[in-house]
Amino acid sequence: MSNVIELRIKRQDGPGQPARWESFKIPYRPKLNVISVLMEIQQNPVNAEGNRTTPVVWECNCLEEVCGACSMNINGQARQACTALIDQLKQPIVLEPLRKFPLVRDLMVDRTVMFDSLKKVRAWIPIDGTYDLGPGPRMAEAKRQWAYELSKCMTCGCCAESCPQFNSRSKFIGPAAISQVRLFNAHPTGEMNKHERLEVLLEEGGISDCGNAQNCVRACPKAIPLTTSLADLNRDANKFAVDRWLRK
Amino acid sequence: MSSKYHFVVRRVHSLLGLLPIGLFLAFHLTLNILATNSPERYEKVINTMRGTPGIFVVELVVIFLPILFHAVYGLIVVYGGGVNTLRYQYARNWYYLLQRITGIITLIFVAYHVFTLRVDGATAQATVTALTNFVKTPFGLVFYIVGVLSAIFHFANGLWAFLITWGITIGPRSQKVSTWFCSGVFVILSAVALKTLAQLLA
Repeated sequence: MSNVIELRIKRQDGPGQPARWESFKIPYRPKLNVISVLMEIQQNPVNAEGNRTTPVVWECNCLEEVCGACSMNINGQARQACTALIDQLKQPIVLEPLRKFPLVRDLMVDRTVMFDSLKKVRAWIPIDGTYDLGPGPRMAEAKRQWAYELSKCMTCGCCAESCPQFNSRSKFIGPAAISQVRLFNAHPTGEMNKHERLEVLLEEGGISDCGNAQNCVRACPKAIPLTTSLADLNRDANKFAVDRWLRK
Repeated sequence: MSSKYHFVVRRVHSLLGLLPIGLFLAFHLTLNILATNSPERYEKVINTMRGTPGIFVVELVVIFLPILFHAVYGLIVVYGGGVNTLRYQYARNWYYLLQRITGIITLIFVAYHVFTLRVDGATAQATVTALTNFVKTPFGLVFYIVGVLSAIFHFANGLWAFLITWGITIGPRSQKVSTWFCSGVFVILSAVALKTLAQLLA
């Protein structure tokens, strides 16, 4: 084991600014993660050539892989910097921002589109009323167990980043929001508004824009069965579309 | 493409790939074996088909228009896709890319194939002779092997995606089984096609 940690970081001062690569060498300590190495650079912003530079900008929050804020490309794969352990990574460690989202600066991107998609598919359960609506129907335990897996989604964007169909030429909203439709449609109270969510999935950018490359299910850090969600909703969307047409 | 019909258009695109196009491909490849095994029977089948009243309308509605729609809309689908197979080197991601590449190859191949062998309206025997002469050139042979295998791959892999699109194979296990099934379809149809080509050369 070498006594330095070598990094190559893609830097960009802002949207529309030219991108450049900068190398860094950090003294080795065991059990570091990418975040702690970026913190080292923040404390002492000197690159591998020994020149002073600006500290690398990144975003992070929970540091336990439940918020999704520190998503970035690490050695070419989209994942969270907090659970990317230096001792397990091939060096030089290459850090790049996610490519599919608008860049803010360096490793920080704007993932607003992920949250806009959740709003678009109405990924919530409407329970507000002018009076107490009382308890909802019970959820079967077997259903709760698989639905819980879907609820682990942290909207980190790794699935969208790895999806070839999610790009600037296509309106595809990506696997995360679609899987949330399955979650909220499975909920006994959420099911009451199932039609509203399926209606959105029939639009351009919805479920029919999936290309079955199946990278999403492998890129997902929470091991959410995204391709199962997509296929299951294909069945629901087909039934819903035919039913809606026949009732017209 | 209007947003209102987006879902229907995509689903029609998927359905046409199997019915009638995929079915026609399987029928076409099977019939070809007959052409090389017993030319007389093949000639009889072709003449019967050509003698059927309204065959032109049937060919137009059942074969030509579905292929035209599937091809043109397919190009739109290709345009909306991306390539990241070097970063995400999973088999399924390669298949995703291959599906698009073979789609474009098949479009070029089928356009040439139909233009040279069907449009001029020669007799069945003259068509077989023209094809035999073409595949006896090195370029012609490579063109046909690549074209036919592309068409078969596009159909077999499309069948795998069809089963997902229509909500039949949902879980990873059933999708794995359908991968084996579709691989079998690819191998069988490829063997039939290559055998026919080999017999033309003999």
